[in-house]
Amino acid sequence: MEKELTPLIQAENLTKDYGQGRGVFDLNFSIKKGETFGFVGTNGSGKTTTIRQIMGFIKPQKGFVKINGMDAWQDSCEIKKYVSYVPGEIAFPDLKDGITFLKNQAELLGIKNLDYANYLIKKLQLDPSANLKRMSKGMKQKTALVAALMSDKEILILDEPTTGLDPLMRETFIDLIFEQKKKGKTILMSSQMFDELERTCDRVALIFNGRIIDIADINELKSSTRKIYKIEFLQKVDYQKFKRLRYKIIRDQKQYNQVTIDIDDKDINRLFKTLKNYQVKFIAEIKFNLEKHFKDVLAEQLKGEK
Amino acid sequence: MFFSKALFKQSMKANWVKWLSVTVATCVMLAIVIIVLGSLSINDIRDSLKGVFAQADQEAELKEGAIDSYDAYLSSVEFENGIVTLTGSPFWDGAFVSIKDEITEAYDNSKAGYELQNGVSAQGEDLKQLQLTTSNALAEQFFQMAGSMLGDATQDDLAQLIYILILTYENNPESFDDANSANLVEAINNQYYAYVYDMAYDLALQEENATVINATSSAISAKEVAQKGVGAYVPSAEFDINDYKTTARDEVNELIRNQAYNSFNIVETSTDEQKEEANQYAIAAKVISNTAISTYELWLTEGATVEEARLQATVSITGQIDEKVAEALEELGNMDIYGLIIGSIFYRIAGILLPMVYVIMVANGLLAGQVDSGSMAYVLSTPTKRRTVSTTQMLYLLASLLAMFACVTAVSVVSIWIVGGNSFAINFGEILLFNLGAFLTMFAFAGFCFMCSAIFNRTKYSLSIGGGISIFMLVCTILGLFGSNVVPSAMRIDQMNVFNYLSMISLFDTNLILAGGLTFFIGFGVLAFIGVISFIIGTIVFDRKDLPL
Repeated sequence: MEKELTPLIQAENLTKDYGQGRGVFDLNFSIKKGETFGFVGTNGSGKTTTIRQIMGFIKPQKGFVKINGMDAWQDSCEIKKYVSYVPGEIAFPDLKDGITFLKNQAELLGIKNLDYANYLIKKLQLDPSANLKRMSKGMKQKTALVAALMSDKEILILDEPTTGLDPLMRETFIDLIFEQKKKGKTILMSSQMFDELERTCDRVALIFNGRIIDIADINELKSSTRKIYKIEFLQKVDYQKFKRLRYKIIRDQKQYNQVTIDIDDKDINRLFKTLKNYQVKFIAEIKFNLEKHFKDVLAEQLKGEK
Repeated sequence: MFFSKALFKQSMKANWVKWLSVTVATCVMLAIVIIVLGSLSINDIRDSLKGVFAQADQEAELKEGAIDSYDAYLSSVEFENGIVTLTGSPFWDGAFVSIKDEITEAYDNSKAGYELQNGVSAQGEDLKQLQLTTSNALAEQFFQMAGSMLGDATQDDLAQLIYILILTYENNPESFDDANSANLVEAINNQYYAYVYDMAYDLALQEENATVINATSSAISAKEVAQKGVGAYVPSAEFDINDYKTTARDEVNELIRNQAYNSFNIVETSTDEQKEEANQYAIAAKVISNTAISTYELWLTEGATVEEARLQATVSITGQIDEKVAEALEELGNMDIYGLIIGSIFYRIAGILLPMVYVIMVANGLLAGQVDSGSMAYVLSTPTKRRTVSTTQMLYLLASLLAMFACVTAVSVVSIWIVGGNSFAINFGEILLFNLGAFLTMFAFAGFCFMCSAIFNRTKYSLSIGGGISIFMLVCTILGLFGSNVVPSAMRIDQMNVFNYLSMISLFDTNLILAGGLTFFIGFGVLAFIGVISFIIGTIVFDRKDLPL
């Protein structure tokens, strides 16, 4: 039990300042063993810079990242025994085809038994004999995934692994992540897609302008009792009448006779009882999800800054 | 352990096509250069130029000699207002004049005394006897003087002649200067010839392998020479300075012809071809001599000073052209075309161009290229140290370069062997040093390009700094070639030499290797040092920098 409490990956005051506000500043987070952790943020928000520091590719100006108690920069070679990596930009070495690349990678990793690699290839329906240069983005991504996963290491770090994948491929990928999760792997992945992080991750950190704005617990989010409904009335009278009732209106669109309300589960019955007396054109539930959550957090943050 | 077999294999797979094409191209170029140069006699023109200059030197020397001899002949007479007087003499001239004067004076004195006594006393007969005695004493004195000069010549004839001479003078003083003096001269000359003959005979006998025949023939030659010499001094009634000059010229021409012929050491066993060759050469020498003397005489006749005339007569083909042009032509003749093409052009420029392109491309691709594209992430996400990556890539670069130059060296040695081995203008030792030098040059460039590849994360910087400076240096070497002393001065622009100071290829000096000596090793050492330091800096920087992977 105690061992699980000590974080497997821990960042403290991690800072890399590239000037002009670019870089990452004072990042603090920790990832427990077996946890799936996500980074979400816009382009240039600092996701990749953070991952590079975790990988020991760049040296933090301040603070540190520890993996299994080892400094990511100092012991960058040692930590690679525990870490697999799928880089954000897929560029393979100048080799003939996928097989050559994967064999070479296996040799670098010291893997003799390629059964697991073959299993992955089958599972991803990858044709490894294809020329590396002529591979589509999806094939490249699959090849990179096989290269990273075949060593079956404890930690898996993926930098925007689904960018450029078609929806079908994305599903296969998410399947694979679930499978790794089941195996007890600790996974760190970054993405611009909220939904895939929401589906796979235990916790997701929002990075904005190089700072972690919020770390959301997906389970908490999922068990949230808040609901959001968008209601449009047929008649203006009803609309105006409804507005006078004490529902928490978060959006009001007069021209359409539309309101969006934020309501707790326990008040749902009261809402429907109320609506029985109105002529409602439509009612739709807007899911309260990660995206909505972060948008709220970000809006508050920006309000605070102003 | 700073070596990764897998990474080394990966680098090999990624670069073997480049390696193979560069190696094959360089080897083929080298083989063509050596074999073509070896089978064509490209030195023919050079040799003939060289021959022209050697011949010109020889010709000038010959002409000088001819004119010197001619002058010696002429200076033995003094020619003024149509009267020739003797100025030089083997031995008898001064002696004869003074003895003649003494004889005349003594005789006149004694005769005067006799005549005086004859008229007043009976002691006249005694006095006549005294006069004869005096004459005898004088004859004895002359005989001794002449004898000391003649050595052991037969002296009786001489004494006899002198006595007759005195008697003749007594009887007819007016005739003294004419026929009898000629007789005296002839007698003395004969003594001189005999002396020369004996001396030459004795000297010839002392020679190794001397035979009596040899000695005799050389004694005869010596005697003939002496006769000619003396004959030249003897003024005759018909003496004409122009005849004399003609004689002198003919004599000198003949002398030079003989000398030229003798320089071939023709003996009886020599083949006809050899004899014919010697003969042709002798005739040519004679013609040159004749031309020189005629030209000399013509210029003198036209009023030129002796110096001017001599200058005009001895001027050779090369002397007729401008001094600078002559120097340039001579240098062209002395130029080592093989050393220039194989050493300065192939091993320092053409032959390292492709290896340099290989080094620039591969050094960049081994680190900076992979960092720039991001593919380095696959290597560094395995438990492989950065130090291992940099040293493995460095070893690959060096090993491939070494293998490349091993092939080039093998091809160069075989090509040299085909065109004649050590008898070729460039021998095995020199070609091996050329290869070593070119390898060390490429080692230094490899180090430099590798360092740039390790320092920069972007291919464009690594290539433009590492490759740019390397190509810049190669271009400087090409331009510097026109300022270096391997290029004959006709084509040389000395100011272009400044480019040689901008290129580290100058540290590999093929000329120093061809010149012999060991000073070229200093440059080799500096090149090796540049390479080693660059590789060390590259490795250290790659270990510490941030990688955008």
